[in-house]
Amino acid sequence: MTPVLETRGLCMSFGAQKLAALSDVSIALHEGRCLALVGESGSGKSTCAKLLTRMLRPTEGTIHFGGEDVTVLRGRSDLRTYRSHVQMVFQDPFAALNPAHSVQHHLERPLALHKPNLSRAERTEAASALLRQVELDPATTLRKFPHELSGGQRQRVNLARALAVDPAVIIADEPTSMLDMSIRLSVLDMFAPLKRERRIAMLYITHDIATARYVAEETAVLYGGRIVEMGPTDRLIDDPRHPYTKLLLEAVPEIGRPFGSTRLSVEADRVRAISRGAGDLREVAPGHFVREIATN
Amino acid sequence: MTLLQVRNLSVDYATEDGVVHAARDISFDIAPGEVLGLAGESGSGKSTVAFAIARLHRPPAFISDGSVTLDGTDVLQLDGEALRAWRWREVAVVLQSAMNALNPLLRVADQFRDMFQAHGIHDRKEIRARSADLLNMVGIDPARLDDYPHRFSGGMRQRIVIAMALALSPKLLIMDEPTTALDVVVQRELLEEVADLRSKLGFAVLFITHDLALMSQFCDRIGIMLRGELVELGTPTQMVAAPRHPYTRALWNAIPPLHPPSYPLEGPLRPQGGQVQRQ
Repeated sequence: MTPVLETRGLCMSFGAQKLAALSDVSIALHEGRCLALVGESGSGKSTCAKLLTRMLRPTEGTIHFGGEDVTVLRGRSDLRTYRSHVQMVFQDPFAALNPAHSVQHHLERPLALHKPNLSRAERTEAASALLRQVELDPATTLRKFPHELSGGQRQRVNLARALAVDPAVIIADEPTSMLDMSIRLSVLDMFAPLKRERRIAMLYITHDIATARYVAEETAVLYGGRIVEMGPTDRLIDDPRHPYTKLLLEAVPEIGRPFGSTRLSVEADRVRAISRGAGDLREVAPGHFVREIATN
Repeated sequence: MTLLQVRNLSVDYATEDGVVHAARDISFDIAPGEVLGLAGESGSGKSTVAFAIARLHRPPAFISDGSVTLDGTDVLQLDGEALRAWRWREVAVVLQSAMNALNPLLRVADQFRDMFQAHGIHDRKEIRARSADLLNMVGIDPARLDDYPHRFSGGMRQRIVIAMALALSPKLLIMDEPTTALDVVVQRELLEEVADLRSKLGFAVLFITHDLALMSQFCDRIGIMLRGELVELGTPTQMVAAPRHPYTRALWNAIPPLHPPSYPLEGPLRPQGGQVQRQ
């Protein structure tokens, strides 16, 4: 099966010192499936999202969408067409909605831009359908303003907004990290029908590997701008091979397992130090890749 | 023995539409050296309680009832200079965005000095030495005292803030969502640090978070807040094995387990038991 969106050897460096934010990242997003990109702050996961939406142009490597090279896109209209296929949901549900506009405006605006043939009534109907898809009641929600919604509701509106243009790909950058623990899962629950019914390819960016298991068939662990391990999510969590993946899993808060049995902080610095190198990605099991520890 | 005694504490907010009860009839104790966690969703009143205990609440919030006693001192009667001297020396607070609590325009050393001077310590040599010790204590090279905050990572800035909070050996450290902005590895490193310091220095901790799993690993006892009320209080073992309040059960079920028995990627994914109510 050909991937919807695929990167090959993506590199991104910033500034005069050519600080490498991302090195040699090759990932593929498939129709109706979700890839989780897991890493700590500074690992390069948001840079990756910016490259995929072409907010940035990579220093090296290519991005293919539907078989077409989109790395070279330049013009405003080409980029706009591309972005109507690849949509983002951002981390901050408060900053991503304009406080001066109603939910209706937020949903009808992309419809007006990307589907100019719709009549006014059809637009409103489409906006209502989008809200129903994310399990919000259009009758009460359309007229509301962002400040009248909870964080979870806002994130649903953000998802509905992304869906408005019928994207083939949705990139969700830490969509639940600013929400309460107790409503995170209900927001993540929204993803399954998008994959199943709309066949959307998803990239789920997170620092929480536990939720990756919940939404993503495949997971890639990013550290220092490099993928250190990638494969089926279950394998990665149940049989992690790279020391950094093991460290991440060890640090996930687990109910009723007190600290103290293991001293993580001693281990963490050592693991970080050895995980930076540019060893080769080796396939240890079908579809399960692990970066070798560079020795020098 | 009790260090902190909170009895029937109620905190209200005066709004245009009348009085809102943010915390109602809250009672609990913290023993010396104990770590007590308060968990709950945004708006459940957990930060309101923490702020009231440190007397940091501001109008329109006001304490309408109850008492707070720390080591024999009636906290709600403290005023003016006495209150100012009491804070930091007896109770120190680390806030959610503690990494942003440092002044970006001042070197770390100057911020330590401000704090010491405000509490009557003026000898420059002594300040320098104690600041260096404090940085050392949280695992940061004292040579970095002369750096500006932006030179440190988020986790290191949190450590600096914690070191500052502990400078006057408070009996109680209040931590309001101290690790929310950090990723899991850094979060774990930081809390291990706090646990170590606690066993070394003996302070008690009031730990506020919405991450119940984390709380169950770090705290001696856990309190669950719901709509301004403390609905359950117990040890992590009790709360995990036999939660009594349906809301506590719902909170446990909202945590995706790392190693679930089986995990269908489609369909209703909720683990067994009660659900957290969807909005």
